[in-house]
Amino acid sequence: MNSSCAATLTRDADHWVGRFVAMASPCEVLIDHAPGELAQQILDAISSEAWRIERKYSRYRTDSVVNRINESAGQEMVVDDECANLLDFAATLTRLSEGAFDITSGVLRKAWTFDGGDRVPSQQQLDELLQAVGWHRIEWQRPLLKLRAGMQIDFGGIGKEYAVDSAADLVENIAPGLSCLINFGGDVAVRHPRQDSKPWRVGIESSTRIGAAARVVQLSRGALATSGDSRRFVFRAGQRYSHILDARTGWPVRNAPHSITVAADSCTQAGTLTTLAMLKGRDAEVLLKASGVQYWLQ
Amino acid sequence: MKKIPLCLVLLGLAGCAGVQPWERDVLARPEMSLDDSPLDAAIDDHIYFSKEASSGGRGFGGGGCGCN
Amino acid sequence: MKDKDNFNATLAAATCALLGSAATPVAAEEEAGRWSFDSTLLYYGESDDRVQDISAAVSALRDFGDERKLSATLTADTLTGASASGAIALNRPQTFTSPSGRAVYTTAAGEVPLDDTFLDTRFALNASWSQPLARLYTFSAGASFSTEYDYTHLGANLSLARDFNKRNTTLSAGVAWSQDDVDPVGGRPIPLSQMLDVGNGANKRNGGESKDVLDLLLGFTQVLNRTTVLRVNYSYSDSSGYLNDPYKLLSVVDPLTGDTLVRVPVGQGPDGVYVFESRPDKRTKQSLYAEVKHAFGTPVMHFAYRYMTDDWGIDSNTAELRVRWPLGDGYIEPQLRYYTQSAADFYRASLVGGAALPRYASADFRLGDFDATTLGIKYGHGTASGNEWSLRAEYYQQNGSVPREQIVGNQANREQYPDLSAVIVQFGYRFRL
Repeated sequence: MNSSCAATLTRDADHWVGRFVAMASPCEVLIDHAPGELAQQILDAISSEAWRIERKYSRYRTDSVVNRINESAGQEMVVDDECANLLDFAATLTRLSEGAFDITSGVLRKAWTFDGGDRVPSQQQLDELLQAVGWHRIEWQRPLLKLRAGMQIDFGGIGKEYAVDSAADLVENIAPGLSCLINFGGDVAVRHPRQDSKPWRVGIESSTRIGAAARVVQLSRGALATSGDSRRFVFRAGQRYSHILDARTGWPVRNAPHSITVAADSCTQAGTLTTLAMLKGRDAEVLLKASGVQYWLQ
Repeated sequence: MKKIPLCLVLLGLAGCAGVQPWERDVLARPEMSLDDSPLDAAIDDHIYFSKEASSGGRGFGGGGCGCN
Repeated sequence: MKDKDNFNATLAAATCALLGSAATPVAAEEEAGRWSFDSTLLYYGESDDRVQDISAAVSALRDFGDERKLSATLTADTLTGASASGAIALNRPQTFTSPSGRAVYTTAAGEVPLDDTFLDTRFALNASWSQPLARLYTFSAGASFSTEYDYTHLGANLSLARDFNKRNTTLSAGVAWSQDDVDPVGGRPIPLSQMLDVGNGANKRNGGESKDVLDLLLGFTQVLNRTTVLRVNYSYSDSSGYLNDPYKLLSVVDPLTGDTLVRVPVGQGPDGVYVFESRPDKRTKQSLYAEVKHAFGTPVMHFAYRYMTDDWGIDSNTAELRVRWPLGDGYIEPQLRYYTQSAADFYRASLVGGAALPRYASADFRLGDFDATTLGIKYGHGTASGNEWSLRAEYYQQNGSVPREQIVGNQANREQYPDLSAVIVQFGYRFRL
């Protein structure tokens, strides 16, 4: 999917608002108390970083690193530091979730289309696809990666949150101490509080009423990430199947909350916790409580 | 009226190890809360208060109605 | 993922390795709290056309963040029917003057006399606020109010709790006051006075009377291990004022036959000798309560025990057991309760004619010697939107006995104690807004 490489900057009351599209999500940047040129410089840096990460890790782009890996058909690949870090991180998440989270589970999307319709795949379909799923089937010895034929990796579960944190780092280099809220499709991070100490207000969309805010979180500093099924789901026989699949079974997680929002120090940490909690289904809240972070469920 | 001895063996339990904050996963479950159904408890207390001579225990004596 | 400490540490380390820099500690707060509601609809019905009650209650809880909470509960119930009045059953029909003093009502031969049937609607409102006072201290204050046609209640309570030992131990102390006003229909009968004919209010006093209650509660909660928590409470309660039930009677019986003495009314009135009960104007109760919740895997077991003793000579023991098992998207929870109490010192099945009147006497079955068992089951189910509905059904059975020395003559051949059995059905719905 091609995102239009254009970012717009407008002035709103007491802050700048930058908007663009990246990683298939609406992205916005709110910049507190800065002269116009600095705001433009920051927006350019953030949008460039978002597009860079999208280009590098999108499974749809033929020139992306991920696509090359997915087409490697059993060949050994050398990956760079950033990619290696993401692979290591993904491996840790697979371990922490006992296999429920797995970046090789992308092939399962051939069986599931979460468009609000009622198509549900057969167990046979899933069993066939599961042959190509499993981190244990990958040979990963940094910096060498080898996938079996038919396997694919997909950083969709962690890419956006990582991009937010990475962009926040860039802003810190350009304008240290500046309060800048980065929001990539609901994954948010703020490094410093605003000058007048007022918090940024972040609306969390209601899982039942699209477009309406279920709650507003006042974020002074830190990160928020939300995981939910409000827009992507399958509805069949009175059961709502969220789009989050358990990589071990190929089926969506059952009895998970409709939406989980976590507040944590970094966007990656927040996003990881929402994903791991969702994968726990009914016990999502147990994991969230044990982790000690603030969270909100719907 | 018999007196209830106030020195309770339970005071010894105060020295119990307890759990670390990160071990509270099971205790965090809503059904593990001692007050997970306050409305049910209030209703039960009210029914038993009106049919029996004892009340309270879990919380204050309750009552406050002409039913006893 | 047994060790949460490892989980949190591993995640933190992995995030640090990925991002390189240490992130800033988060400062986030929800702007407006949410309301969560618990509502219930209940039917209570006793056998033999005795009491039937339908009640509806709604409870609202609002979390303002930072552990500050407001909760309020509104209850409405409608009671119809009648309870055993305390008069004994006879082989002949019995006629009584109704509490208003304006009519009579009759009990068939062989039946346990019940109070005159009435319809009563009651409204009650409870509210409470709790908040941290300092680190580890929680304070809470509450108020309660209820009103029904002959009774009004007003109460307030305060309590303070302190956590110890990484919040594994909590000690709490609380106090509650209430002032109730009783204004019986037809006026307050003079204790141990005889029931008089229709229109004769000589033994009734107009105006209300009050009843004051002071409750003290000391609590101790302890986490025993990862899957078990214990609570122990000691309560002390002191009631003073008008503690009688203005509608309860005792039959005055012949010392040989044990049948109620006959009386000839002038016009309409009682055809037997009945006197109104008399209880002390003070009652002190103490109780010790302990409960344990234990999770064995996913199912959770709850066991509670209470011992109560008072200066009316009543001792009671209560034991309760509930086990909750997950079932599909919900749970099933069987419940069992066993209760036993000894009679009050002044409990009398009937009064013997000719003998000196005791100072206090009551035939109210609730002050007698009885066992009661409750058997119930609850089913709860979570809905797609995160709310929960539940259905509970219970069967309550009370079986009492009268001390042998109190059974006189023919009473031995009849039902001496008005056993009670009731069915309770409750529908509940919990939701958030």
